[in-house]
Amino acid sequence: MLSKVHHVGVVVKSADEALKFYRDALGLTVTADRVIEDQGVRGVLLQIGNSEIELLEPVRDDTGVAKFLASRGEGMHHICFESDDVAKELTDAKARGVELIDQAPRPGLAGMIGFCHPKSNHGVLVEFATPIEGRH
Amino acid sequence: MSAGATHIDHIVISSNDSAATASLFAENLGIEIKRTMSRPGTRAHLEFAKLKEVILEFAGPGEVQPYDEVKAKLWGFVAAVEDIGAAIAAVRAAGFEAEEPHPAIQPGAVFATVKTGTHGVPFAFIEYNVLPVPEGS
Repeated sequence: MLSKVHHVGVVVKSADEALKFYRDALGLTVTADRVIEDQGVRGVLLQIGNSEIELLEPVRDDTGVAKFLASRGEGMHHICFESDDVAKELTDAKARGVELIDQAPRPGLAGMIGFCHPKSNHGVLVEFATPIEGRH
Repeated sequence: MSAGATHIDHIVISSNDSAATASLFAENLGIEIKRTMSRPGTRAHLEFAKLKEVILEFAGPGEVQPYDEVKAKLWGFVAAVEDIGAAIAAVRAAGFEAEEPHPAIQPGAVFATVKTGTHGVPFAFIEYNVLPVPEGS
């Protein structure tokens, strides 16, 4: 069962530049900042209440995030819902006819994650996440 | 000095058929649509779901035109603050532009859009319980 919005993903050209607004001006705290090599992105999570903002900066040109940035520019990329069982969310979504990008959970910045294909949600990219122990 | 954003108040998902997109999200994700409304004075049709403190707002035209396919996108989001004047002052002090607060659609609330620095994200602040709430709201 989806319990809350875990984060919204925002594609940016430069996470350092975006932090000037999202961290410094808004006063949000960075909870994670690392390069996810297999996705070709630098991801930065900032806590805002019980949710987070995920800044995504492509570090390679051959990734989905880089292609998104090239075609659409900076902006909102996906919405992630938290679940205590991301595998079950993926299974249940598939049973409801939702096309999945990830057939099984995989590690991501937010914990164990899985994406639904945007065409199953009128073009909106939806992620499920089960955070790692000790984080919300 | 910072804006002191306390949480995401709502996330806007725009669609050429907001009722259809809200219905699809309800079906696909098991979320409950709690409220629908047509915004007074506009042609917008809005549907709302809520997960904890975050509202999902599905926004679209009041009169849906014929379409080949329903298209939706994540539009932007609104952060709640406890002092919108201080929040605006903070973003301006950081070198960004923000409009003056004005009454929001939400009864008793005030709203201000941040114009620059958001990196492609339509973004605004909202503060609740500022203005008198009309009876019946």
